[in-house]
Amino acid sequence: MAADESVITLGEDVGLYGGTYRVTEGLMAKYGEWRVRDTPISENSFTGLGVGAAMLGLRPVVEIMTINFALFAIDAIINMAAKIPFMSGGQFPMPLTIRMPGGIARQLGAQHSQRLEHTLMNVPGLRIVVPATPQDAYWQLRQAIHSDDALIVLEHELLYFTKEHVDEAAVAPPIHQALLRRQGRDITCIAYSRMVILALEAADILAKEGIAMTVIDLRSLAPIDWDTCVQSVQQTHHCLIVEEDCRFAGAGAELSATLQERCFYFLDRPIQRVAGLDIPTPFNGQLEAASIPRTEDIVNAARQILDTQRGQS
Amino acid sequence: MKNPITMPVLSDTMQTGRLTRWNKSVGDAIKKGEAIAEVETDKAVLDVEAFADGFLAGPLAATDTDIPVRQVIGYIVDQAPTVAPDTPATPATPATPAAPEPHAAAADAAPVPAVVAQIPAQGNANPVPVPSQASPSAPIKQSPVAESEKSGDHADGVRISPYARALAADLNLDLQQITPGADGVIHASQVLAAALAPQDVDLRMGPPYQIEKPSALRAAVARNMSATLQTPTFLISSRFNLSALHATAKTAKLSFTLALGRACALTVAEDPWFNQVWTRQGLAKRQRVDLGIAVDTGAGLITPVLRDAAVRPSSELAEDWRILLAKVKSGRLLPEDYQGATFYLSNLGIFPEIERFNAIVPTGAAAILAVAAAGSDGLTDFTLSCDHRVIFGADAARFLQRLGKRLEDLSWLT
Repeated sequence: MAADESVITLGEDVGLYGGTYRVTEGLMAKYGEWRVRDTPISENSFTGLGVGAAMLGLRPVVEIMTINFALFAIDAIINMAAKIPFMSGGQFPMPLTIRMPGGIARQLGAQHSQRLEHTLMNVPGLRIVVPATPQDAYWQLRQAIHSDDALIVLEHELLYFTKEHVDEAAVAPPIHQALLRRQGRDITCIAYSRMVILALEAADILAKEGIAMTVIDLRSLAPIDWDTCVQSVQQTHHCLIVEEDCRFAGAGAELSATLQERCFYFLDRPIQRVAGLDIPTPFNGQLEAASIPRTEDIVNAARQILDTQRGQS
Repeated sequence: MKNPITMPVLSDTMQTGRLTRWNKSVGDAIKKGEAIAEVETDKAVLDVEAFADGFLAGPLAATDTDIPVRQVIGYIVDQAPTVAPDTPATPATPATPAAPEPHAAAADAAPVPAVVAQIPAQGNANPVPVPSQASPSAPIKQSPVAESEKSGDHADGVRISPYARALAADLNLDLQQITPGADGVIHASQVLAAALAPQDVDLRMGPPYQIEKPSALRAAVARNMSATLQTPTFLISSRFNLSALHATAKTAKLSFTLALGRACALTVAEDPWFNQVWTRQGLAKRQRVDLGIAVDTGAGLITPVLRDAAVRPSSELAEDWRILLAKVKSGRLLPEDYQGATFYLSNLGIFPEIERFNAIVPTGAAAILAVAAAGSDGLTDFTLSCDHRVIFGADAARFLQRLGKRLEDLSWLT
């Protein structure tokens, strides 16, 4: 906001209260209520306001308190933000950033524990980034604001509490580039958002058993950096996809289908997915934890993919 | 807790083990260290020992099946199983149908995640490699014969991973000639193994035949011998009179083989070249002479090794030799008993018809000495096969010269 006067932010409680997750704390005091706008509880209206502001040359950052409330704003997101640049023949760019936290936190109930990335992935015209580290959250939010495309920044509620040194001077990789968080020759694990952290834990455990697992942090769900994934799968011949979202018709399904198309002749085992269960998230803490992938599930899946081959190779 | 028992890795060269016997049944209490099963490896029958106290639990791998090392063959559980699961299973495939969910989150009792249990279910309708549920009463045995026959017509049954198929196409290999892995699927590892293996013979135009799987011992010999094809070998022969050695060995109460072996070891010790071996990194100079002596087991060839045969006293070597022969007889020779010789001796002297023969230099050594039977002139043919990368003709001539002197002057033996 300091670098560009056209950047504004708006949403519920982003101003006086500093954001439900404190991500906009202090901004109102610094930049004033014109650029940091508290809005009524009306997601479709203030997201639509963001669309209009973007059309008129501002770079609005709309914060929707959680992705669950984005369902109210779906008309503004899908019918307006995603379509206007196309339908206007490019006359109206859409330098709009919509940031929203999602994912299963701790016992917020089925309606407040959704991961709706698959819904948004299915909308042409939207770009979606899913940072897993504080550094990426910093880089990708800045890049999103710079972008002239409608961009969703999907953050994970539990990752808001991650602490890591953020290097503000470091050169950011392209916003949609996937990163190899760990390299191994036996199997490729593709994950995003919080599941990257779990995949890395799983890779540590597997390393002790002599299984070297590559962990790819997708960082972006639309577009997807296919080349990085394809290159890795062509080297390891085994692919495991981890997603917190429900398995059915999710991001993993898209990854699996496309990688199968592009890597078919390199696959030595069927691509496997470890994903959330296809159920509304249970409120009970233990059931909730059991409804999404845990580190041990990733470890077991990798073991199972490779197991029958070990010793023969 | 349910801990998997895996096919142990009992030697460097071991790729599969044949489970010959379960000493325990499902539900039996077992003690740590107890022998719960027997496995036939490359060259010996060995025990699989329990790694913990508990009870044996299924699914148990079928006996008489070749199982890749590290593959699960059964389980040890903390508590006696309530349901006696005699459901048999071929290895590495979950015996219970798993829930369709992607991860068996709450189901600690079923540690095999559904992720993988779905592999067979998602595949085509081919029932071949999917074990157990269809016929819960009869263990599915992958009899070696059946497996070999199957490889004749993969088109009907065997599944092939895309990568394996592409590899086979690139390497110009006939998939029908490739035997699938333990899960019934041809994976890249099977294709690569086939690519590295020597070309198989084509018997289709000949008379009808039946394939029998060789014993593990025979298969290991075949592998090791094929591995020596790269060795540039030359032969050199001499004839010596062995009657003095026979007589002296008898008075010294030493077996003739051992006396001859000792003579070889001492001669090797005099010329370090004979104790070296060519490796990709360079010449490996070994610091002691370990002598391998070929022994006919009736079922095949094995080479028990006398360690430090040039330095240790004959009495010690004799005792070692006695133990090694007893192990050969009982089929319990361990890898450390028969691997790692630096020089080999093969003696066919007990066959009086054999005038001369030559032997193949095993990998890991630079030379092997073949000793035939004594001829009518009382002389015995000694033929030395040498790896020419290490040993040259004159070295070998001098070796036989020194050995000949040693066989005349037997002061070293007494």
